[in-house]
Amino acid sequence: MAELLLDSQIRIWVFLPIVVITFLVGVIRHYVTILMSSEKSVDLRQIGDSQVFLRSRALRENGKYLPKVAFLMRKGFMNNQEKGVLTTGKKREPTSAKNPMTDPSMMTDMLKGNMTNVLPMILIGGWINWAFSGFLTTKAPFPLTLRFKPMLQRGIELGSLDASWVSSASWYFLNVFGLRSVYTLVLGQDNAADQTRAMQDQMTGQAMGVPSDPSKAFKAEWEALEVTEHEWALEDVESSLVK
Amino acid sequence: MKTMNWEESVETLKKIREDGYRKSHEVIAIWIDCLSHFTHKLGDDAWVIYEQVAIAALDCGRDDIAEVQCIRKLRHRFSSSQRVRRLEGMYYESKRKFEEAREIYDKILKADETDLMTRKRKIAILKAQHQSSEAIKELNKHLLHFQSDYDSWMELCDLYLSEQDYAKAAFCMEELLLSNPHNHLYYQKYAEIKYTQGTADNLHIARSYFAQAIKINPNNMRALYGLYLTTNTLATSTKPKEKKEHTKMLKTMSWASDQIRKKVKSTPLPVNDNLIDATDYLFESLKIA
Repeated sequence: MAELLLDSQIRIWVFLPIVVITFLVGVIRHYVTILMSSEKSVDLRQIGDSQVFLRSRALRENGKYLPKVAFLMRKGFMNNQEKGVLTTGKKREPTSAKNPMTDPSMMTDMLKGNMTNVLPMILIGGWINWAFSGFLTTKAPFPLTLRFKPMLQRGIELGSLDASWVSSASWYFLNVFGLRSVYTLVLGQDNAADQTRAMQDQMTGQAMGVPSDPSKAFKAEWEALEVTEHEWALEDVESSLVK
Repeated sequence: MKTMNWEESVETLKKIREDGYRKSHEVIAIWIDCLSHFTHKLGDDAWVIYEQVAIAALDCGRDDIAEVQCIRKLRHRFSSSQRVRRLEGMYYESKRKFEEAREIYDKILKADETDLMTRKRKIAILKAQHQSSEAIKELNKHLLHFQSDYDSWMELCDLYLSEQDYAKAAFCMEELLLSNPHNHLYYQKYAEIKYTQGTADNLHIARSYFAQAIKINPNNMRALYGLYLTTNTLATSTKPKEKKEHTKMLKTMSWASDQIRKKVKSTPLPVNDNLIDATDYLFESLKIA
């Protein structure tokens, strides 16, 4: 196949601008996030609730390492018919549950998250696609298999083109995901410019938070603890030592 | 300690900070030797380092470094930050001006009652003033809200021990056991508390927990000695008709003493004959007639 030659103008007007734009957007995003971030406020009771769950879970999992009296004492504290912490929590009014749609502070938080993460990605991505579409920007210095074509040649549907050529749209995406170390260099550790980090936060954030409906969570925990029986793990430990 | 270059010191500080070590002297040494000359190179990392150095300096009694070089700069940069206010409170604490410190902490807590660190500082003031019973009361209140705050359970355990309230100290240790059942030191400490309480039931529990500590870490000498002493006491106090129980205790006891002898003889230190003699003498004197 004949060797392909790129116009050097492409380097100046497509290749470099994409790098610069992606980088600057990241920097701007970093500062916008800092400007808009609001302290997450949790009230004392929510924290208390989640700590009760943690403790109850620890009791269920590791209770077997305590003497029986100690285990039953704690189980009573959690599950006592009248005064147990989980029992009273179970009967609590479910009105305290927060609906994200009606709670304005949660709404703005979600909006801010979208503003800084999703919107720029769509807007800039769309704009780059529109302004720089249809260019080949660079070539990977090694041969690649056909499977890489959809990844590296987005926007260019040429069956006969060698797979190691990179199109402008793909070059943008490579930049989005590949500039992380440059951001750490410029903005310091723990910056908000990196999109991949934001995505990870979204994934883990849900597992950490306080459950939306406390009374249901209390009920589940109460049931789980209720069926936990004490089986002392230290019964006869010496016999395993002293042969 | 060898002098570190700029990058190494930043890395070391970061490691100490993130792993939560209390290596205050090292932090101060790094700061004086190296970093204080390069603050302009730190960028945004500088603020965290200022905070870290300030706390370390207060820990070492270097109030001059804390106030002049760190807190003042932080206050200048973040004039309304609660975190900086808390540092100021700690500075007052180190000057033993507890009332001023408490005032600051109260203000912070008024703005945000969930501030865990500040709550703990307030209890620390009570402890510094040797008001153990007050500190215990406050810590109990704190633990009502933060039931899985295991550092506080640990602290409460030590406070109860200093008040010789062993039953409650044992309760706190049980919480720590729940938090991490793979830590042999927790087992050892729990067993020691139970041994100190000293009824027959408690001694049996102590024996099991010493054994568990040894099982997790066979080199735990303290637990070995503990197991020896516990079984010794149990063997002397069992009733004659419980023959089986008695022989079991004796067996465990001799196993423990063998282990201790073996460990003492195989120490990598230059073996001190006096030490071995001393162990032999100890066992001789504890022997049951």
